[in-house]
Amino acid sequence: MKCLKSILAAVVAGAALTASAQADEIVVGGKNFTEQLLLAEMTAQLLEAKGFDVDKRDGMGSQVVRDAQLNGQVDVYWEYTGTSLVTYNKVDERLDAAATYDKVKELDGEQGLTWLDASSANNTYALAVKDGVEDTGSIKTLSDLAESYNQDGGLVMAVNAEFPKRPDGLPGLEEAYGFETTRADLKAMDSGLTYQALNEGQVDLALVFATDGRIAAFGFRVLDDDKGFFPNYAIAPVVRSDTLEANPKLAEPLNALSAKLDDQTMQALNAQVDVDKKSIENVATAFLTENGLI
Amino acid sequence: MAEHVAVAGLHRLWRIGILILIFALGAWAWSSGLLPTMFDLWDDIVYLGRQHIMLVAISGGAAVLVGVPLGVALTRSAFRRYGDIVLQLLNVGATIPTLAILALSMSLLGIGDTPAIFGLFILTLLPIVSNTLAGIRAVPPHLIEAARGMGMSAGQILWKVELPNAMFVIYAGIRTALAINVGTVPLAFLIGGGGLGELIFSGIALNEFSMMLAGAIPTALLAIFVDFLMGQMQLWTIPRGVNPLR
Repeated sequence: MKCLKSILAAVVAGAALTASAQADEIVVGGKNFTEQLLLAEMTAQLLEAKGFDVDKRDGMGSQVVRDAQLNGQVDVYWEYTGTSLVTYNKVDERLDAAATYDKVKELDGEQGLTWLDASSANNTYALAVKDGVEDTGSIKTLSDLAESYNQDGGLVMAVNAEFPKRPDGLPGLEEAYGFETTRADLKAMDSGLTYQALNEGQVDLALVFATDGRIAAFGFRVLDDDKGFFPNYAIAPVVRSDTLEANPKLAEPLNALSAKLDDQTMQALNAQVDVDKKSIENVATAFLTENGLI
Repeated sequence: MAEHVAVAGLHRLWRIGILILIFALGAWAWSSGLLPTMFDLWDDIVYLGRQHIMLVAISGGAAVLVGVPLGVALTRSAFRRYGDIVLQLLNVGATIPTLAILALSMSLLGIGDTPAIFGLFILTLLPIVSNTLAGIRAVPPHLIEAARGMGMSAGQILWKVELPNAMFVIYAGIRTALAINVGTVPLAFLIGGGGLGELIFSGIALNEFSMMLAGAIPTALLAIFVDFLMGQMQLWTIPRGVNPLR
């Protein structure tokens, strides 16, 4: 009997402990490509070093992680201003970088999300071809590409799961540049593989992210967005306003990390993972230590 | 007798219940706007469904063509002693997660539909070979002895006694393998292999339920159809005397 009581006491104490631990736990979210996996890992390590309890959940699709944050299942993750503007908030206006940031800060603020400081890294969508390939050698801009599709078509594009259906993706691009792709022009795959597909010549062009290290490493040429269709995709930490109120110390380290990120830094970090095959944990730790963040 | 009537009644109740359930599901799907969105994706479903069927037909067909003869060969006296080793290897192979098999074949063959077909082929091969082995080994020894007593050659015994008696188990293996195959093809999307997985994964990434269903429902229907087809073949191609279905 005594034994039973002590077990019961232990269970109750344990439950109380985990409950109190959960109250302070910060859930760090992330999407399903290298840059996001890196950002989530850096955030987790950074917050752990600042004494927070961290639970990292990455590898989600854009809309999924956004919904999870609105539902309170994710406290913080790194979002792109353009994605929030066009995909989540359905804004069609063409805005410059600063106006985009202000707009999403305002619109998401009404939904209980706080945008911290944006970094100067702009991870915009881009379409790339491989240098030195004859078929696509004369295509320098997205207008050239549209013309090629309108004349004879037949170019095959490697895309990820989201791009063909997102308003700031292919449907919007086709409308802005006045062209149309057929089902056979698209080869969809896991987002990181588009680079390999283009590099191995299995497709003529590939959807890439501007901050990806493989663009330079594989000798890709990014097509110029001459009509300025793609909005600015500055990377910024987004926190649930409730979480931020309960943990005001959250903002300072995240803003400090955001300030260290620009296009070159992001490209170099991504390349360490995708080209040099270093582990995400090691790259994150090295970057945070070198910059004196942890 | 009374029991029989009760069972028949129960069956009828079941069938009516299922029909009502299907009707309710359909009505809900239509009213919530799921079905109309799915019809918007009709072009995608047709295009990707065709790719899906091609992947199943090539990888599954090749696995049947290779798997059954391989299984039979492993029961012949020349290779019989390797049978157990191969069976063990196949069992170990069957424990590798399907995604890992696709990832491995991608590292060998690059991306696109070639590695997808190769991975699906390996995946489908395992249950077919192991069932063929098991089926032929389970043929009652007295049947073979009797056949031998009648003066049949080894080849005649295989064609007239062993294969017909093992056929049911072999078919069971093929049905299992093809069902797994159809259900695994969606993962081929991840390595650029095409198929209905594209709709499922796009649906997940964009959190669009109807897009996920537009991929998942045709995949499920295809699996049911393939299994039905194999069931019919099982019914009509196995000789009457040794067919438990007839």
